[in-house]
Amino acid sequence: MSSLRVTGLSVRHRKTLALDSVDLALGTGVHGLLGPNGAGKTSLIRVLATVARPSGGRVEILGQDSADRRGRSAIRRRLGYLPQEFGYYPGFTVREFVAYVAWLKEVPAAGVPAAVERAVARVGLADRIDARIRTLSGGMVRRVGIAQAIVNDPGVLLLDEPTAGLDPEQRVEFRELLRELGARATVVVSTHLVEDVAAACTEVALLDAGRIAYRGTPEALTALGTASDGPGDHPIERGYTAALRAHRGPGAGAREAVR
Amino acid sequence: MTGLVLYARSRALPAALAALAATAVFAVWAAGRLDAYLDPDRRVPIVALAPLLASAVIGTSLYAPSDELDRTAVRPWWPRRLAQLLALAALASVLLAPAVLGHPEVFGPPAVIRNTLGCTGVTAAAAAVLGARLSWLPAFGYVTAVYLASSGARGRAATVWAWPMQPGVQPGAWAAALIAFVLGAALYAVRGARAEGPRG
Repeated sequence: MSSLRVTGLSVRHRKTLALDSVDLALGTGVHGLLGPNGAGKTSLIRVLATVARPSGGRVEILGQDSADRRGRSAIRRRLGYLPQEFGYYPGFTVREFVAYVAWLKEVPAAGVPAAVERAVARVGLADRIDARIRTLSGGMVRRVGIAQAIVNDPGVLLLDEPTAGLDPEQRVEFRELLRELGARATVVVSTHLVEDVAAACTEVALLDAGRIAYRGTPEALTALGTASDGPGDHPIERGYTAALRAHRGPGAGAREAVR
Repeated sequence: MTGLVLYARSRALPAALAALAATAVFAVWAAGRLDAYLDPDRRVPIVALAPLLASAVIGTSLYAPSDELDRTAVRPWWPRRLAQLLALAALASVLLAPAVLGHPEVFGPPAVIRNTLGCTGVTAAAAAVLGARLSWLPAFGYVTAVYLASSGARGRAATVWAWPMQPGVQPGAWAAALIAFVLGAALYAVRGARAEGPRG
């Protein structure tokens, strides 16, 4: 059963159409969202996070319609969201910041301290829980961002470029956490790093110019790359390019070569 | 630590309260040097500038550092935003009024309270349109312009557009300031401060 269903979703930013009648249904598991810059990944994540309103279409998350005020509140209670850039009050410690988000999510007050400690431990920052966020490295701040996104044990977790700033070891650990979270929740990860998708995702959706260009498993995308002679150092990178070019039509490769 | 305390800290409200108290102390000190018992009109700089400073403090406290995450809050934001703005405006009014005690019909506590509400309204609207960090600018520009331009202005229209310089009993000035406060507070409560990048 799909915990996240999008039908005819359109998002317009002034004169630009960021998403063009997107249909998508996602269930439990880790779903990688790939695509070039400006493809509409962040627009899609922001609409799913109920932060931005769509220009058209319908979004249902965990059985609730996000256009309905009560439905939106119910969704937000069970939603985790890591934006590309999340701000924080510079004086907050890790514990205070994650507790603040738990309060936003209406986690019952009695359960907040334990939920905060659990979320911070899951991202490997238990020893820095009382450090001020501004004193942490970029990678650690990113992990704080992941901790706040999982503090309410979300049913749907939306992560926009979660591995930006993480070193290779932290990325490996993060992929493990993703697999763990994906066992019980619907996790959507927007990323440029196709190797993260290959390693941790159960499904891939490729967005291009506001439309779904490809859907399948990472294995199928890799197989597409093995069969193609497009650019890329790894089969999944070649698969990514091949899927994009197939979506754009036969002339796309030649047009790009002329550019 | 409760959520509301964390909310207050996330908006740097302790610093804002300290800045409001410092503004009030400065206003009392400055008013004491004006020998206003000789002529209450000498209080005009205090009546105009102290509310302006207080509104700048209130405006910058409307900055939401984690705006994108705040938008995913389960509860609607408008009651919290409105409560914060009303509480700070009320506190600023109470703190600034003692600087100009007496002469309520000219430049006394009513004029300071009116100007505090009016400047806070303009600043709140500016926070919604421009962002909290620059929210002080329109009120600063307007009050400065009126301060410089209104000395010879007379007539009913002047009591409205030059509301920050009017005596405390002037109904037109009160109407203008209250409209600015109601509209600014409503706009900020509904829309929140315009999203800005992280500080620093």
